[in-house]
Amino acid sequence: MKRRVVITGAGAVSTIGTGVDEFWRNCLEAKSAVAPIPENWDHYAALHSRIWSPLPVIDPDYLGVARTERLQLDPGSVNAIGAAREALAGAGFALVPDANNSRVFTLTGADATRIGVYLGTGIGGAYSFLHNHAHHLYQRARATLKGYAETRASAPDREMLDGVVALMAHGPRYHPFVVSMLMPNSSSAVVAIKFSITGPNTTYCVACASGTVAVGNAYRAVRDGCVDVAVSGGCEYLNDEHGHIFRGFDVAGTLIRDCADPQAANRPFDQKHSGFLFSQGGAAVLILEELEHAQRRGATIMAELIGYAETFDAHSMMSLAPGGAQIERMLRAALADAGVGVHEVDYINAHGTGTRNNDEAETEIIDRVFGKSVRVNSTKSLLGHTIGASGAFEILVTALSLRDQTTHICKNLDAPLRDLNFVRAVEPLDLRVGLSQSFAFGGHNAAVVLRRFH
Amino acid sequence: MSNDIQQRVVKAIAEVLERKEDEIRLDASLRDDLDFDSLKQMTLFILLEDEFQRTMPPEDLTGLVTVNDIIDFITGKLQEPAQT
Repeated sequence: MKRRVVITGAGAVSTIGTGVDEFWRNCLEAKSAVAPIPENWDHYAALHSRIWSPLPVIDPDYLGVARTERLQLDPGSVNAIGAAREALAGAGFALVPDANNSRVFTLTGADATRIGVYLGTGIGGAYSFLHNHAHHLYQRARATLKGYAETRASAPDREMLDGVVALMAHGPRYHPFVVSMLMPNSSSAVVAIKFSITGPNTTYCVACASGTVAVGNAYRAVRDGCVDVAVSGGCEYLNDEHGHIFRGFDVAGTLIRDCADPQAANRPFDQKHSGFLFSQGGAAVLILEELEHAQRRGATIMAELIGYAETFDAHSMMSLAPGGAQIERMLRAALADAGVGVHEVDYINAHGTGTRNNDEAETEIIDRVFGKSVRVNSTKSLLGHTIGASGAFEILVTALSLRDQTTHICKNLDAPLRDLNFVRAVEPLDLRVGLSQSFAFGGHNAAVVLRRFH
Repeated sequence: MSNDIQQRVVKAIAEVLERKEDEIRLDASLRDDLDFDSLKQMTLFILLEDEFQRTMPPEDLTGLVTVNDIIDFITGKLQEPAQT
């Protein structure tokens, strides 16, 4: 008999709020953070998209990370620790400072060897890599040029050289811990170190499906008895001083092109969609727990995970396979795993990026598999695309929607691409089963099925 | 030597070691008395770079044995112009 898996805690660091309560409240109020891209990025390339969704300054008390830790970690890992801390505390685990190191905690209420950490990230510590790479490339050359400009250059040359020196901006040091900062597995490793968790520890690096694949595999680990508790989710930090990461997505033509009205530019599933809103990232963490384990502790249950499946297109690194056969196979496998039929699904949290390739294929597949009555929204219509964290945010939203029997609107949706039951208003709903799906560069498809918990 | 520099260096060492500031003697050897290994030493200098906003390349740090050596080193660093 399959063990039942429930969500008992959650944490969120997002562009629209820190902490699950603020995040969810702002989702239901359809808030977004949209701003012009940093001015200096234009010094390096002609960028087509002009907007992004920046993170706010995160309260250090929420993150619970000391200066000695912060200075040795990629910001993505710091955010993962903050979200994990909120999730574990919310699940009712007491976080007890270690006797010899107050920066490290042990958890009461669970056997640390029976807890696993399963986190997803698309680009790992790319910020730390690029930050240090700039120092590696520029530090000596910049110093030489600067010296020449100041001592030997003529006035016109000086002006030109000063401009070149300014372009060669880099951080103050080549960090001695750069390897442990940039490696993608650092996020799951630092979370487990911080909370003394010694069960399985895996980072899933599956581009835009990373968070979904991480939670899905955590669900399987709890269901199959490998662990009793899983710290699962996704984190991403999509930022660097030179706009390098943004440019990568921009040059591929994936980002919003029509930025004339920034607040209305991000419009998944709308006929006027023109790409996805690049997000600075964030982290979403869910505590999955075996039902009886959770009940013995008296934990509050948000929702139940009942199914998961993943497939692969084997078609293209950058676009969905025409016809969506592998996505449909993935959806039917996830529903079979959950033991529910297509007509029992009340709500789909769609991948919903806002790119032509995604939106046209996804609406066609939803229509074909589920029909027109299932409610559909896109959390990316609020957050933009957080890549490896997106699936985790969307599973969190699905769980909160099942808990509260309502969900957020699909923002900026005026003229839908297809006649589906898109969420247009926040209102009381009867949501029993929800599904959250993600598709990723490379060709990865994954979906998690959740059920309202009674 | 400024008391402010001394206080901030001792605070940084205490932060790395998770010890109280009054347990850090100025003549203590980092390695022999305070159990600094190479990782802790790197952590300390990252912290001091952040604290004093000066770059401290590893090659400049050889020969610093005691807490007082670090205070003298930082005092000298702060007399150099800040890098831009």
